[in-house]
Amino acid sequence: MKKILSYILLSLFAVSAAAGNDGSDKGKKDWGYLTGSLESTNHFYVEDAANSFYPSMQPQLKDGNIFASNDYLKLDYYKGRLSAGMQLEGYFPSLVGFPIAENTMSLSNLYVSWRDKSYSVTAGTFYEQLGSGLLFRSWEDRMLGLNNALLGARATYNWQDKIAVRAFWGVPRLGKVADNAAFMGYDKKFFGLGLTGVNVTGADLSLSLSNLLGMDALSLSLEGSILNKHESLSDVLVASGLPENTFGWSGRVNFDMDGFFAKGEYVDAGKTPVGSVMSGRMGRGNAQLIEFGYNRRGLGLSVTGRRMERMNQKIYNYSSMELGFDSAANMLSYRPAMTTQYTYMLTTLNPYNPEVGDKVICAGEIGGQIDAFYNFRRGTAIGGKRGMKVHANFSTYYKLNENGGTKDGGFLFRDFSFDLEKQWTKKFKSVLMYSMQEYNKHHENNGLYIGLSHIVVADLLYKWTPTLSIRLELQYLATKDDQGDWMAGLLEFNLAPHWSVFASDMWNHGDTRLHYYNAGVSFTISHLRVAAGYGRYRAGFICSGGVCREIPAYTGANLTLTASF
Amino acid sequence: MRNILLSLALLVSAVAAAQVPSVTVENAKGESFDTSLLLEEGTPMIVSFWSTSCKPCIRELDAIYDALPDWLDEVKFRVVAVSTDDSRLLAKAKSFAEGRGWGEDYVLLFDKNQDFMRAMNVSVVPHVFVMDAKGKIVYSHTSYVPGNELELFEAIKKSQK
Repeated sequence: MKKILSYILLSLFAVSAAAGNDGSDKGKKDWGYLTGSLESTNHFYVEDAANSFYPSMQPQLKDGNIFASNDYLKLDYYKGRLSAGMQLEGYFPSLVGFPIAENTMSLSNLYVSWRDKSYSVTAGTFYEQLGSGLLFRSWEDRMLGLNNALLGARATYNWQDKIAVRAFWGVPRLGKVADNAAFMGYDKKFFGLGLTGVNVTGADLSLSLSNLLGMDALSLSLEGSILNKHESLSDVLVASGLPENTFGWSGRVNFDMDGFFAKGEYVDAGKTPVGSVMSGRMGRGNAQLIEFGYNRRGLGLSVTGRRMERMNQKIYNYSSMELGFDSAANMLSYRPAMTTQYTYMLTTLNPYNPEVGDKVICAGEIGGQIDAFYNFRRGTAIGGKRGMKVHANFSTYYKLNENGGTKDGGFLFRDFSFDLEKQWTKKFKSVLMYSMQEYNKHHENNGLYIGLSHIVVADLLYKWTPTLSIRLELQYLATKDDQGDWMAGLLEFNLAPHWSVFASDMWNHGDTRLHYYNAGVSFTISHLRVAAGYGRYRAGFICSGGVCREIPAYTGANLTLTASF
Repeated sequence: MRNILLSLALLVSAVAAAQVPSVTVENAKGESFDTSLLLEEGTPMIVSFWSTSCKPCIRELDAIYDALPDWLDEVKFRVVAVSTDDSRLLAKAKSFAEGRGWGEDYVLLFDKNQDFMRAMNVSVVPHVFVMDAKGKIVYSHTSYVPGNELELFEAIKKSQK
């Protein structure tokens, strides 16, 4: 493997050196340019009975192996209006808890694209999103192990920023090769892309009314999308009444004027299975999203409301059991939690997972959130000499009952958070945060048991010199539920421009008395970063972009390398 | 392993004339914006990829914001802040940026399906680029610790020589 990697890198060097051209030398031939990135995450696992982690019990770690590695090499070539690129993925084997478990290396993305001023054409793999993504989204999230790129073709046309249309067709990728996968008659393992036996066709139209009518003071647009998914089913499944085609559409309006903005989106996502597929029970997926607010000079206000009913559209809704319907990678649309994305350790212990409506007793969720940001300016009474920033968020979500109504729907999640950021002197800055989180732990069974936790965080940064700084985080979580109280701390030394060293500990002193320690060092030079660490990690959810994947507990060392060129 | 590191070092040193590719993102009003239009003003740029959940990104953009009046006294350039937040956090990212006052001094762009991020081969944020007046990348850096912003200013000054 290392030989292969070295070979690829050396040949890349040759190509990039040949393609290298500073463009300023007149008369010199323009060879275009090559860019790329490399990401390698490596784990060395250690048995840890206290954390209930045994490498030998992990499905991908065989014969006493304690090493796992996720690697991505991406390359893009640009020459004028032409671009082409590829991505190579390797799992040797994949990290513990990752959806793709096999020891494998394959070409996952490959494309060529032509982009003119008003139109573009792409063939190969590409990513696409319709509106907010509730109807359709293909994207890559390496943390989640998700890459549902489409292999197919796309064309876009933009007429003077007044009318924009795009249409696409493709076969989504799932990371694993499906038995019934095929691409235009080629073998299912076509280029090792991990294709599915599903076809997706979509189109989008956007009309800018403000540009069409020459209204400069405001921005107003109307948009609409359609999407059809074809999932090849066996004769038995077709005979049982399951649909091979699922058709959906969405309509949207966007408005913006003098800092005030408003957005509305209605999605009809077509038929979706409810409960067990074999029960044959179907629902009609639909969602409504409203966002509005006011942003101006130091003030930011935004309000979001969303209702989702039976929004369980996946790449595979009916077939290919062996891939796992519930795999985090089996996604065709984006239905994130519309809540604050917390980042401090103890604030992320109970992330909210939205209710998409796949169970019989619960058709989905309804709720909303409000965010307010304000900057007390320098020189004002509250702002002081260096200003002060405050932020508050409130969100609340309720279940929809079996029929999509809110009556007896029940409570799902509520949180409130407030943070205050103040630069006290040239050298010292603090962030103080409070978060209250309430969650229904028994909603899966339609029961109600509310867990409530209060979390406080102090994040203090002190700069000795312009390049030498220290950062301290102190956190406390108080609750009568689950495992009781937690405390956490983090200490970080930074020496710009290259070095950063940290040590942290999360201690559950309310129940298990277990320490989740972690320490690491990172070195960065330009666009190359190497980080190494050792720690004990808690089982839970890894959340990225509002989508969560369950991960097991593990203990061990890690080495991460990222480079872009 | 040594071969890999050696090849990587060679590869990194071979950075040539990477430029701003043409990708459609959103501007602060939610309208489509072609990234190649960034070159039209013909000034050097700091292009910083950030997200609302990335604390070092915010620290970096705040540090640039604080230093900006002094820097602009010496050199003419623009700061482009590209939010990589998904549509979940898009509205929040706009309010967040305006709430910090960035909207007055930065060009705010929103890359909700990470198309610009991919085209620029950014795999983790923060990732910041310095481009000369022609849009050629003259410096780039991933991650941020306090003090890294000083390198950006040096690169901006150099790009004008």
